[in-house]
Amino acid sequence: MSRWPLAFICVGLLGARAAAQAPQTITVESPTLKADQPIPRDYTADGRNVSPPLTWTGVPAAAKQLAVVLQDPDAGNPPPFVHWVVYKIPPTAKGLPENVPFEPDVPMPAELAGAIQGVSGFRRPIYRGPAPPPGKVHHYHFVVYALDAALDLKAGLNRVELLEAIKGHVIGQGELVATYERKP
Amino acid sequence: MTFISRRDLLKRAAVVGAAVPGARRLQPSDLLETPPQSYERSAAAIALQPTRVREPLETLTAGEMDILDAVVARLIPTDANGPGATEARAAHYIDRALGGALASSRPAYTSGLAALDRYARSSRGAAFTQLSAIDQDSVLIDVETGAATGFTGSSAAFFALLLNHTHQGTFGDPYYGGNANFVGWDLISYPGVRTMVTATDQQQLEKHALKPNHKSAYDTDMFTKATARANESSLPRRSSPDAGAKAGRSVSDSDAKAGLPRRSVSDSDAKAGLPRRSVSDSDAKAGA
Repeated sequence: MSRWPLAFICVGLLGARAAAQAPQTITVESPTLKADQPIPRDYTADGRNVSPPLTWTGVPAAAKQLAVVLQDPDAGNPPPFVHWVVYKIPPTAKGLPENVPFEPDVPMPAELAGAIQGVSGFRRPIYRGPAPPPGKVHHYHFVVYALDAALDLKAGLNRVELLEAIKGHVIGQGELVATYERKP
Repeated sequence: MTFISRRDLLKRAAVVGAAVPGARRLQPSDLLETPPQSYERSAAAIALQPTRVREPLETLTAGEMDILDAVVARLIPTDANGPGATEARAAHYIDRALGGALASSRPAYTSGLAALDRYARSSRGAAFTQLSAIDQDSVLIDVETGAATGFTGSSAAFFALLLNHTHQGTFGDPYYGGNANFVGWDLISYPGVRTMVTATDQQQLEKHALKPNHKSAYDTDMFTKATARANESSLPRRSSPDAGAKAGRSVSDSDAKAGLPRRSVSDSDAKAGLPRRSVSDSDAKAGA
């Protein structure tokens, strides 16, 4: 047998392995946010500044835990500026409700039992919506991660720490991007 | 949360009622936000409505004080841990200090409090004082993080100023008008200013069992500055060194009656019976 068929088989196996390792795409939607459209005022610092509702589908069956990060790559030093971090979300959750509890002593809804809000760029473990400097459209990425293990993540993680902790465990990922701009 | 609870309203109204001969006793129904349908808003009825009793302000306007009172109540809230900035009368400390050592901050309060209220109205749809505690906290976080709009410069700078002065008013020496009844010191288990500490005191302190002495630094002669003595000489001395402190150093007649030490008393202050303290920022921070 020539070497070429063996090479093709090896490449084919590697490709199949890479495909198996590539995170499955999760579809992230919202009843109130539309992709590439301005975020309603209620979810920004110009309004009630409560978290928007999110829904997702396509979470891998093997998922043991979910996480959500809201980030603005058009701000931050270095970018992105992080608005929200939620992790240890049960894999059975189909989304996040509007106005996730603001006070630390208020428990998460039953379907999110055990979920933790991490530390955002505002140095608070709560949702803080868009509040960009005026004069430029900012893009807000609601990123959902599906993890292959129920990781024992501590409270108080920021985005960087969370991403470091879940490295090698992401088996599904998806995002919804919406925009916001403050007028000068 | 509303700025004035119904219990407060009842208490205040009861005081007013007691002070007005012939006034009918206030009924709980008087305090309903929506009056009963049978209630006719006649002139007499309006006259009997509870009137909010306000202490005289030294620097701030009534509207500014309402906002400031509500803000400090959220910065150091009254909760299961004990009393907060409201009980410490931190807002009144600020009002007083803005007419003295903190006078340079007066413009910042004028524009900052107005901007804060405007921001509350535009973003949450109501005046800051009318918002729920959660919404007030949410507004204040926006102000703290610089996310709020409408401020001169960053809202974060104004928040830092507010927080600093609220700390001063809550945990500074009661001599300066805040930390009423030593609630701030009690909150952090500060045993009080002492000119002498015995071995027993030291042992008790280490066991966190040293009882607070509830004395201002200025209750001790060695802390009374020389410039104050001339002013004090013409004023009555208090009979008990801690009587005034326990009275809470409010802007009230009780201060004058208590014979609190005064420094740099202006004519108008003397007429009003108000203690005017030439307090410096560093003094207040040091709680001295």
